[in-house]
Amino acid sequence: MRKKYSVMGLFSDFEEVFCALEDIKKNKVPGVTVDDVRLMSPIEHPEIDEVLGERPSHVRRVTLCGSLFGIIGGFYFLVTSQSDFLVQPQGGKPVVPIPSNIVLTYEMFILFSVIATVLGFLVLSGLLFGKREKLYSEKVGVDQIAIVLDLNEETYEPIKALFRQHKVLEIREEVSK
Amino acid sequence: MKHIDEKAIDEEIKWAKINEDVLRHMETPRKAYWIALATSFIMFLVGLTAEVYQYRYGLGVADLNRSHMWGLYIATFIFWVGASHAGTLLSAFLHIIHAEWRRTIYRFAEAMTSVALMTAAIFPMIHLGRVWNLYWVVPYVSDREIWSNFRSPLVWDAFAITTYLTCSLTFLYVGMIPDLAICRDNARGWRKKLYVVLSVGWQGTDRQWRNFRKTYMTMACFLLPLAISVHSVVSSDFAVSLMPGWHVTSFPPYFVAGALYSGCAGIMTLFIIMRYFFRLEDYMTVNIMEKLCKMTFAIAMVWTYLILAEFAAVWYGHNQADKEVLLAKFYGPFAPYFWAMMFLAVVLPFTLAFQRLRRNMAALMVLSILFNIGMWLERWMIVSPTLSHAYNPESWNMLWPSIVQWCIVFGSLGWFGMIFLVFCKIFPMVSMYEVKEMVFHQKKDLLGHKHGHSHAGSGHVVGKPSVEGA
Amino acid sequence: MSITNLINDWSRYRKGAEEGGFHEYEHQWAMVVDLNKCIGCNACSVACYAENNLPVVGETRFAKNQGMHWMRVERFWDEPDLQPYVATASNSLDAWIEGNPPAPRSALKPSNPAPIAEGMLERDGKGFNEQFGFHGTKSEYQDFGGSFLPMMCQQCHSATCEPVCPVAATYHTPDGLNAQVYNRCIGSRYCSNNCPYRLRFFNFWSYYEDAWPEPLHMQLNPDLTVRDKGVMEKCTFCVHRIRVVKDEARMENRKVKDGEFATACVQSCPTSALVFGDKMDPDSQVAKLWNAHQVKQGPYKQTKENKELRGYRILEGLNTDPSVMYLERVREV
Repeated sequence: MRKKYSVMGLFSDFEEVFCALEDIKKNKVPGVTVDDVRLMSPIEHPEIDEVLGERPSHVRRVTLCGSLFGIIGGFYFLVTSQSDFLVQPQGGKPVVPIPSNIVLTYEMFILFSVIATVLGFLVLSGLLFGKREKLYSEKVGVDQIAIVLDLNEETYEPIKALFRQHKVLEIREEVSK
Repeated sequence: MKHIDEKAIDEEIKWAKINEDVLRHMETPRKAYWIALATSFIMFLVGLTAEVYQYRYGLGVADLNRSHMWGLYIATFIFWVGASHAGTLLSAFLHIIHAEWRRTIYRFAEAMTSVALMTAAIFPMIHLGRVWNLYWVVPYVSDREIWSNFRSPLVWDAFAITTYLTCSLTFLYVGMIPDLAICRDNARGWRKKLYVVLSVGWQGTDRQWRNFRKTYMTMACFLLPLAISVHSVVSSDFAVSLMPGWHVTSFPPYFVAGALYSGCAGIMTLFIIMRYFFRLEDYMTVNIMEKLCKMTFAIAMVWTYLILAEFAAVWYGHNQADKEVLLAKFYGPFAPYFWAMMFLAVVLPFTLAFQRLRRNMAALMVLSILFNIGMWLERWMIVSPTLSHAYNPESWNMLWPSIVQWCIVFGSLGWFGMIFLVFCKIFPMVSMYEVKEMVFHQKKDLLGHKHGHSHAGSGHVVGKPSVEGA
Repeated sequence: MSITNLINDWSRYRKGAEEGGFHEYEHQWAMVVDLNKCIGCNACSVACYAENNLPVVGETRFAKNQGMHWMRVERFWDEPDLQPYVATASNSLDAWIEGNPPAPRSALKPSNPAPIAEGMLERDGKGFNEQFGFHGTKSEYQDFGGSFLPMMCQQCHSATCEPVCPVAATYHTPDGLNAQVYNRCIGSRYCSNNCPYRLRFFNFWSYYEDAWPEPLHMQLNPDLTVRDKGVMEKCTFCVHRIRVVKDEARMENRKVKDGEFATACVQSCPTSALVFGDKMDPDSQVAKLWNAHQVKQGPYKQTKENKELRGYRILEGLNTDPSVMYLERVREV
């Protein structure tokens, strides 16, 4: 059975991290591609996308589902419940008044869109009951940026060397069989 | 004239210091914080006493009558719903247009949104005759197939406010998750337990950030139209009715503008209070305040235009009943309140045109409170003159609100202050990660500005505009 | 919540007042008030108090306009120049015969001139701002020139109070009435705000606690409820009487006869100024009066062939479509 390593390199200089990622991208360590990289950072920087490559985020598909549910379900709910409540002709208005239903459908559309977006976010980004990274440093929450990689025996040492080359502050690792 | 540095924040600030400062505010606020909290609590008790009294004896104690069916309760309801709007404007709208200066102040503005909505929501309940049957407004499935009346603007209100409260709370929460993770890493005791649960396992991985970015932008895009629809719906309470002075076509935009105006004034007040209570002078800087003032000024002018347009429409529309209500405001029994409103909310904002005032915290504190008093009067001037002077001359009468109404209005301020201050103590009121981003971008822009194209080779780092929510 | 129901009856559910509305009306209870006959005696109001368990609220509450008079006689001093006819040397019959006709009314100087505000809407000869503004004084009542307007819920067919109720506690019945369900009411009071006639009454207090001290509680009408605080109420056209008569008619398998019953106010009117009946019954007195005065249910503006006819509906231009027709008061000049 071959050993498996999880390695986390903590950096303080963001530019160095980008350079390190460029190196991985250029395949300086055979067997490790940029797609294997998991990055932990204290802030949200869109520049990461350029080094890590496009990684998909499907939150908006969930939003779309929520929106459609809100519009169709909301309108359906209003119209059918009104058509069951026949004791209620009021003010010379029809039993199923469209203008007021538009207002309410609009609110339901937004409500369900937002709820769906949040649920989608929690599930898709692995929060709530998703899997956690085993290696985590509190310094990520302060000002350091971390590269996490799952490695095997061949790639373990070269990656650590690469990290050191880019002025890594600290390397944490975990070995499993 | 002295040159003023336009920077929103000092970009050389250490990121560790940001964490430290923000986390410290939750632990050790100034003594004034505790005084404010105690005051709020006492005010809340006053309101609670009045409400219990009213609950026991009926709404008659509020001095409402056959014409004045609504009173300060509904006026204050509109006021608080209005106050909740600026938070969304600051956080969602300014996020969409990438205004960097919002980053240090949007958190408490959003908190203000949610808490103001919670305050607003109690007013329709207080004013109900039989509050214990409130749940009938909710459309729930019952055996007798009885539903709430979807034609009623009050039901629209219920829908809109529930939606807005849910959405603004989740928006506030989602935006806070990365900060809650920082709190989790640093807290002890009960706070630790709380943050572990609330941070839902945030680790700042690229996957989380990527989804976070999309989520946050998407929610912002939904929040903005929602906020506008909410106050339009509140204005429908009046615009949909038949009464002179209420049945006004321009009410929805007028209400939205008024909401943003009073909300911005509220944010100015809280800005100064938070800055002092929690020693956040490095983050809530005078430059940001100045931008806030400019925004308030612009919105105040929009609102001023709309209120004058409304008067003009009524005047030249020449509908007798509408006109009489307007005259009742101009020189009838409501005149002192009306002209006070005109002075405080229409004339006074022009002082914001002066830079010296925009940078004077003490003056702004007074001004922002006066704006809000003006805007509160404005809501009252929407509700009461029409009620006292509707179509049927037999029912014309004046009945000023009783002490019970005033106590409950006063108490709502305490309720707001109480929840808001406790909220500030538990959750980080300056967004740590966003301030870091702000510092990061500001520094980068500065470098890019200095070095020009010399770093063009590593284009992903320098001088590159941030692309968000692509 | 079934979709088939919706699809089958869609066109029916989409019918507004303009297309005849949703209801297949069984009755359309309506009223006619002849202002020529009204002497302002308030008997109708008293009868209503007795019939409908209306609480007598006491002086302070009444002064605050928290009274519960479903039926009220409104008084307007609309002709302040009016003077009693007193024979004098100048206007006596003798003078007339001698060729000196009396001066027209407008030329007569009132002894106690009441100020007239500008504007159409006046009460007691004063505009709103004069009455309640800073310089307003308590209005002084004239001796002459008042007219009376008995007002009860107008049972509008396009009632503005109905669609705004959040819990649907008020609705339009197949009898053409505007019903108020006390049990369902949560007291948001929007209906009253949206009633241009201000004919809805709210229980601001638990009036029953002191309105009928013993043994007065014995006079309460057992046919209907006593309302507690927090509930909106209004004239029902004595719906409990309508129910009894309808039930009797159904048991005897016949139609309700005109004049078989009347509401409390109609019953007690000494001058028969009020007429009540089913407008759908073409032989009823009410229907005949409506036709005679060429007032139609539905439009917000009546087109009359004969402009001299006195029938009108109050605030009809607001398109509330009331069920009460008033016959204008005509004075001799």
